[in-house]
Amino acid sequence: MKQLFIGLLLFTAACSSENLEPINPNDKNNVTLEFENRVAAQTLVLNDTKYTNSSGEDFTITTLNYFISNVTLKKTDGTVVKMPDHYFLVRQADKNTLMPVLKDVPAADYTEMTFTIGVDSVKSISAVDQRIGVLDVASYGSDNMYWSWNSGYIFFKMEGISTAAPTNAGGLQKYQYHVGGFGGRTAATANNLRTVTLSLPSVASVRKSKSPTIHLIADISKVFSGVSPVKIASAAVVMSPAAAGPIANNYAKVFSVDHIH
Amino acid sequence: MPFLLLACASPEQDPDPVVMEPLFQQPANFPAPAYALASNPVTEEGFELGKALFNDPMLSRDNTISCAECHNQSYAFTHHGHDVSHGVDNRVGTRNAPAVQNMAWQKEFFWDGGVGDLDLFSVAPIENPLEMDENLGNVLTKLRSTQKYPALFHKAYGSTEITSQKFLKALSQFMLSLVSANSRYDKYAREEGGILNSEELAGLSLFQQKCSSCHAGDLFTDQSYRNNGLNIQGSKDEGRFRITERVEDRFKFKVPSLRNVEMTAPYMHDGRFYTLEEVLHHYASGVQQTPNVDASLKNGIPLTAEEQAKIVAFLKTLTDREFLTNPKFAGN
Repeated sequence: MKQLFIGLLLFTAACSSENLEPINPNDKNNVTLEFENRVAAQTLVLNDTKYTNSSGEDFTITTLNYFISNVTLKKTDGTVVKMPDHYFLVRQADKNTLMPVLKDVPAADYTEMTFTIGVDSVKSISAVDQRIGVLDVASYGSDNMYWSWNSGYIFFKMEGISTAAPTNAGGLQKYQYHVGGFGGRTAATANNLRTVTLSLPSVASVRKSKSPTIHLIADISKVFSGVSPVKIASAAVVMSPAAAGPIANNYAKVFSVDHIH
Repeated sequence: MPFLLLACASPEQDPDPVVMEPLFQQPANFPAPAYALASNPVTEEGFELGKALFNDPMLSRDNTISCAECHNQSYAFTHHGHDVSHGVDNRVGTRNAPAVQNMAWQKEFFWDGGVGDLDLFSVAPIENPLEMDENLGNVLTKLRSTQKYPALFHKAYGSTEITSQKFLKALSQFMLSLVSANSRYDKYAREEGGILNSEELAGLSLFQQKCSSCHAGDLFTDQSYRNNGLNIQGSKDEGRFRITERVEDRFKFKVPSLRNVEMTAPYMHDGRFYTLEEVLHHYASGVQQTPNVDASLKNGIPLTAEEQAKIVAFLKTLTDREFLTNPKFAGN
């Protein structure tokens, strides 16, 4: 019994950061990003639940999708590791998309992360051969994340029902926010790419034997209030990049890192 | 030595080999292509696959409308007799179907330039609810379930796998091969024995003075976006503004090429003019001073009726019968 206790103690100690193996600069491992979408202090449940925004408007969420790209991680010594070839599409309706994985992250202790909400301008104009995985324009089915007529990705898509929205042709009081706009190919156009910088509440240690998860919370209620109020009553359907700036400014404020595990 | 070569030939080989014309040829009087042909060389098998797709109604939601429906070879791949085209369920579009020709030289596509890569061009009509109203993923699913297409993809790419990249690039290969550069004008310009009569030559001279600042070079377009002073009517289409959302782009549309213009009626982004004479009449006396009207059209283009007729005579020398009737491009 005493031996078992000591064994457990040793096992526990090995998992705590104090006794981590030293950093071998050649080691690499995964870092998982866990996206937990919430609405203020409530879990986000698609379709069924009515929430209230900061302007007092009720709303449900039927669709919530967003692209995450260009993640960077800052080491304790201040150097930054870029993860350029990871493009993630977080879709609330698909649990498999909520915990994307950064592969081959160099062993180090990390204290800060940044990422882009959307698909950067270089990838937004890339050749079809580079548009694979979540960037494949054929991959979205009926829940489209690509504008074929004004070539570019929808960075952030949120839809639902609200009594503040006018009744549309289909008889629904629907609000629809489709935010895209990477700044334009040949003419300067609206740029709704937003970069988020988040300090980590504790060090995220990557070792040969350790692949941490960064657990993020996205408070989607801030889409209506992160910087300035966005009212459904003012514009229930926003799909124009030029008009979507306030929504992009707001959604840049929804993310925080809750904890590392 | 020739016998030796013959002896090595495989038995399936064409017993009477003819020298194949390359599917993409650079006309001597054209600039360098905008499309990166090295990234998607046009092969016989890729072309045949692209042509089959171009002519297949399976690309539309209800399997009724193919690309060729609104892009008919006889009319330089436009929709003859339609100001705007019909899509599935007889839904009516808002713009006139542009010619599909000389695509390798186009930097941007559609009247508003919303797409900047030929390989992404085809997604738009497939997914436009007023045109084919299908989604690309579903098109690929349908193609995979056929007998025909996995075999055609295998011929073109060495694998039966059907991906968006292969699908789109095969359509590009077909469209890249649609080069129109053998009109009587071309044969005159390249000194290949083409003869323009005195009226046509006078028209060419007038055209160069009055029209070629926009319809520039041997592509007959500078590929810019301009408001040519059309009355704002119908859907009040704001053109390029729809893409850039910049007020200075309201009512601007891409300057179209004039190749095969005799065959591509009706004219303008909404097909409002049925004849070339009406187009010339517009420039001579119909230009409206709407927001962002092009600086070169502040006073219209002064042209007498006689001059207009000469320009029309010249424009008809841009008709390329070889292109319009080439059996290679015809649907099966």
